[in-house]
Amino acid sequence: MSELAQARGAVRLEATNHEGSLLGKNVSPQKFASGKNTGFAFADILFAIDLNNEIVLGDAFPEWRGNLYDIQMIPDMSTLVEWKPGLDSVIGDYWLKDGTPVPICPRNLVRKLVAGLADNGYAATVAVEIEATLFEESVQEARARGYRDLTPLGGSTGATYHLARSKDWVDYMEAVVERLDSVGIAWEAWTDEAAPGQTELNLAPTDPVGLGDSWARTRQVMREVAFERGHTVSFMAKPTAGFGQGAHINLSLQSDGVNRFFAEDGPSELMRHAVGGLLATMEGNTSIALPQITSYRRLVDLTGPPTTVGWGVNNKTAAVRAITGHPKYSRLEYRLPGADVNPYLALAGVLAGVLAGIERKIEPPEQVTDMAWCLPESAGVRRVPDTMSKAGAALDADPLLREYLGDEFVDFWVASRRWEWMEFHTKGGDPFAELSAWESQRYFEFP
Amino acid sequence: MTESSTIEAPDVRFDATRVAIEDDATPLVRLIGRTLTRASGQGLPAGDLTAGLVGTVAIRSHDTPQAATVTFGAGVVEVTSGVFVEPDATLVVDLHARFALTEEPAGDADLAARGQRALRPPLPHWRDAAVRFWEITRDIAGIPDVLIVEAAGPDGPEPGRFGEGTTTYLVAGPADLLAGVFTGADDFLASLDAGVQVQGTLSQLSVMTAASWKVRFDV
Repeated sequence: MSELAQARGAVRLEATNHEGSLLGKNVSPQKFASGKNTGFAFADILFAIDLNNEIVLGDAFPEWRGNLYDIQMIPDMSTLVEWKPGLDSVIGDYWLKDGTPVPICPRNLVRKLVAGLADNGYAATVAVEIEATLFEESVQEARARGYRDLTPLGGSTGATYHLARSKDWVDYMEAVVERLDSVGIAWEAWTDEAAPGQTELNLAPTDPVGLGDSWARTRQVMREVAFERGHTVSFMAKPTAGFGQGAHINLSLQSDGVNRFFAEDGPSELMRHAVGGLLATMEGNTSIALPQITSYRRLVDLTGPPTTVGWGVNNKTAAVRAITGHPKYSRLEYRLPGADVNPYLALAGVLAGVLAGIERKIEPPEQVTDMAWCLPESAGVRRVPDTMSKAGAALDADPLLREYLGDEFVDFWVASRRWEWMEFHTKGGDPFAELSAWESQRYFEFP
Repeated sequence: MTESSTIEAPDVRFDATRVAIEDDATPLVRLIGRTLTRASGQGLPAGDLTAGLVGTVAIRSHDTPQAATVTFGAGVVEVTSGVFVEPDATLVVDLHARFALTEEPAGDADLAARGQRALRPPLPHWRDAAVRFWEITRDIAGIPDVLIVEAAGPDGPEPGRFGEGTTTYLVAGPADLLAGVFTGADDFLASLDAGVQVQGTLSQLSVMTAASWKVRFDV
């Protein structure tokens, strides 16, 4: 990411709360200069508002939260970039007045787990495959229609790797990567994906905090380009009743510049332990990786997302795919997250599982060499929790994730998902619809 | 199916009605299960309100897609989410008004009337309800030590204090509404728009929300 020594224009302060889209404010150059070291005050309520701007209730606040106390967002100056002429942008973390990180700050959670890996002598390299769906209509038109019955950009035929998408779709994606280049976000590839209007954009491997930043900003770029061109883009897990979209995370561990997941004869011992940790925490991590009600509607056998808690070498039907045998490219692909996930929390959940696995030397179960969908119970492979309430209960009961993510985060997250579940069921969501209007209204534009 | 017995102790009579709700139940199923468990319990002046009921009743919210099916059988009541069978009776109700009907029931009139009666068991006195509410919610993290109640009864103010300790939470309002909140018949947050007032921190409001969900939905 390109760096500026100092801000030159107005500055947009950026960070995600728990839900995952960038929140912040725009400040003048003078204001930024005066607060860039000490931080900028934000109300703690930003960690207690849902996607309908309701206050999330149902849990005991930690001491740092009160009757709308302030917390400090301190910019990470290494992320300062020129976003567009006259506007710079910078990403920050949330801190308490005593200088300790806000325990539920997503970006700080990633930092904590990166430090945990470093204590073990490893650095993680991660990448993500971002899926999104583009629609012809402007966001104003989409809103007027309740985000339903929109026209997929680029035609209504689903295709994968198809290079004959119409010019409107191609122009949009070319504009997106041009903007990514201009703000220093490294990308590797983009293509069309299975659903009409859908794209997959792959960000280049980098460190976890850097990837979280790039991931969150890429969503912002894709939204801004859509606005500029009079289109809409959605990262909703299922923007239409038909297709879903995910966000696969690829990960490897290095030390001394060497990929330690590589072994000549298959997964290294370190990779096996990482897999063991990822599978041991998968049910609990489902709550984080599939954060919204709609996230769970993707979990249908044979449609792409993993539905069972298993792994396999080069097995894309499994939740964790191991890519082995190459000194550089040996890695794990964690295929559980939905496109609607909070980038930082997704990474934190994955790193927590990996760290637990390597510190405890958790051996994974036998790999799944068959198709991992539609497995009978007798196969001995557990199902991924298929509702928000089941996943929340799994996270609540997960001792590993409690240890590595912290009790405060787990309690907060479980309570926030219970609130979301309650809002859905009691305020107009329809669990029996393929996709209810309540979900479109709540999730289409954010996170 | 799981027993909905966390809130209300199951009836221990030999011929007690057993109320069962499905696994991973929706809030509506939980609310119905809890309500019918209370309706079938001992101590109600009218006795077991589910006794003798046989048939399938669909219950639908009048303003949301929430729906559930209640199957009354011999000694067993099962509650499941959605309506996927042809019911013997259908009740369309206001879930924020203690299952009050919002339109004429459809189907078997007697089953509908008795089913709806079971969904509206008489509430205990607010003081008894408060005692039970405070007992049940003790294990919720951050719950205040003491509940102070200022009920507006038919004959004037009726104060109450429940629990011992240093942290307090005050709830004031009409006695009948407080009885509804403390039993779970009424929604705590909705009650704040209906005459209930509170004094405490925002954090305590959050915890009290969890407490009200405990008695209303058993979550």
